[in-house]
Amino acid sequence: MTLDLIDLEQERAYPPRQSDFTKPFWDNLTRGIFTTTRCDSCNRPSFPPKPICPHCWTDQVSWIELEGAGTLYSKTTVHAGPAAFVRDLPYSVGIIDLDEGLRIAARIIGDVNIGDRVELVVLSYIDGPLYAAKRYTVRLTSSA
Amino acid sequence: MQHEAVTILGGAALPVGKLQGVSEVGTQQLEHEVLARLVVDALHDAGLDKTDVGSMVFTLPRPYTQQKYFATFMANYLRLPCDGLVMEVMGNGMTPALALQAAVDQVRLGRTKVALALGVNFETGTPAPEHMMSSMRATGDVDFHAPFGFTPISWYAMDAMRYIHEFGSSREDLASIAVKNRHHAIENPIAQFRKPMTLDDVLAQRPIVDPLGLFEVPGRGDGAVCLVIAREDIAKSTGRPYTRFRGEGFFHEGAHQISEVPNDMIAFEAARIAGARAFKAAGINPDDIDLAEIYAPCTIVEVLVSEALGFCPRGQGAKQATEGETAIGGRIPICTSGGLLSRGHPAYVTALYSYFELLEQLRGRGGPRQVKNAELGLACTELGNYNAAMVHIMEAVA
Repeated sequence: MTLDLIDLEQERAYPPRQSDFTKPFWDNLTRGIFTTTRCDSCNRPSFPPKPICPHCWTDQVSWIELEGAGTLYSKTTVHAGPAAFVRDLPYSVGIIDLDEGLRIAARIIGDVNIGDRVELVVLSYIDGPLYAAKRYTVRLTSSA
Repeated sequence: MQHEAVTILGGAALPVGKLQGVSEVGTQQLEHEVLARLVVDALHDAGLDKTDVGSMVFTLPRPYTQQKYFATFMANYLRLPCDGLVMEVMGNGMTPALALQAAVDQVRLGRTKVALALGVNFETGTPAPEHMMSSMRATGDVDFHAPFGFTPISWYAMDAMRYIHEFGSSREDLASIAVKNRHHAIENPIAQFRKPMTLDDVLAQRPIVDPLGLFEVPGRGDGAVCLVIAREDIAKSTGRPYTRFRGEGFFHEGAHQISEVPNDMIAFEAARIAGARAFKAAGINPDDIDLAEIYAPCTIVEVLVSEALGFCPRGQGAKQATEGETAIGGRIPICTSGGLLSRGHPAYVTALYSYFELLEQLRGRGGPRQVKNAELGLACTELGNYNAAMVHIMEAVA
């Protein structure tokens, strides 16, 4: 599934670094595609993407595309934050269990409760992308 | 291998408070002066001399402490030659417990008969938003968590939200922990927050990380502690009461804040396993413990650890706290010092205060907050979102 893109007219508060290995993740995210690595040996996916499988420690991994859908495991709203994030206060963050069996953490947008179905969206900042989760929207037609 | 038993024989602790800053005449409290005084006081409390000490394990000072290489600086400041290790230890919230463990291990290894576990945490000169720019990098992945603005206590807040969701608990039930611990701290002369406080007071505070408000999360404080770790024959020779290490356990679940493989995040598996190992080593059950000092930066954490260690049934920890079961005079008093919320939380030395409280209680020096007939005490510390836990069981020897 291609993720919705939300344009934001500001820079990221605390931009992530990229390595040669993780660059494809961020490049794909910019285009609305959420990817990670899966081990060629044990077939288990990992997140964040890693050049070494954390389960069996082999270095034979492949990039896969994830659906970007899951369930909200927990969330909170931050009212007192680090200096770089004061501009965003209050903001919500949460833990999402993706359908592929991976647990991730991200910003949460809009009204969504623990146990609800969520989908990932791309936050397109001026200087690059981040991702967030929002309430899952049923798609009746493909926008492609 | 049969070890000679190891003890905590004495200690000294600075009242927790905001100590950093420059006075009107341009002076300030300096970390090494504060700690040197505590070393002398702790040895006096233990009935030992300078020449008995052969190792010093320090907690790493905060980056705001100007004096670097603090351990070796102190070896010079105190003019103390050592056969055992002189070093600084770091492991987030577990830092002080790791320092204590390393000091214990120096004694067990035979490098020295007496070691000091000590440290100073001065940080309140740096405002919280600036401090969090550093601490957020310690409690999450710098590239895949920090960019979203997760703070150290935001993870505990998500524990609380999940606990309320799963067990039908409430913010009020969780907040009762803060009231209970404040009640304990009122009688603790080294506690940072001692003003009486009601549940309404707690619930009226501004939100910090939902569902937790200002009094349900730790205030910031400075502190310093020195504990004297001694081989039991040395402790015995002093004729003084002491506490003996009866059992210990450690476990790291191999995750950092969250497990990428979905798990039961609020089961606090590391605490459960570390606790079970400590109970087994001590040959006792949770029911045998007379008091517990639990590293709990937020109300919810004390609840989850009380359940993981087996003091309360799963999902019942908050409810039992509201019923007084974990208060002094209750079935299993938890955080008789006032805990992190009221005794205070100078993070890199916080757990040394926990062991100090056990030492005081097990020597019958708890004053008005003394747990009657306290013979077995437990300390549990952690790092991350309880991704690792270390448990020590101490017993009183009079």
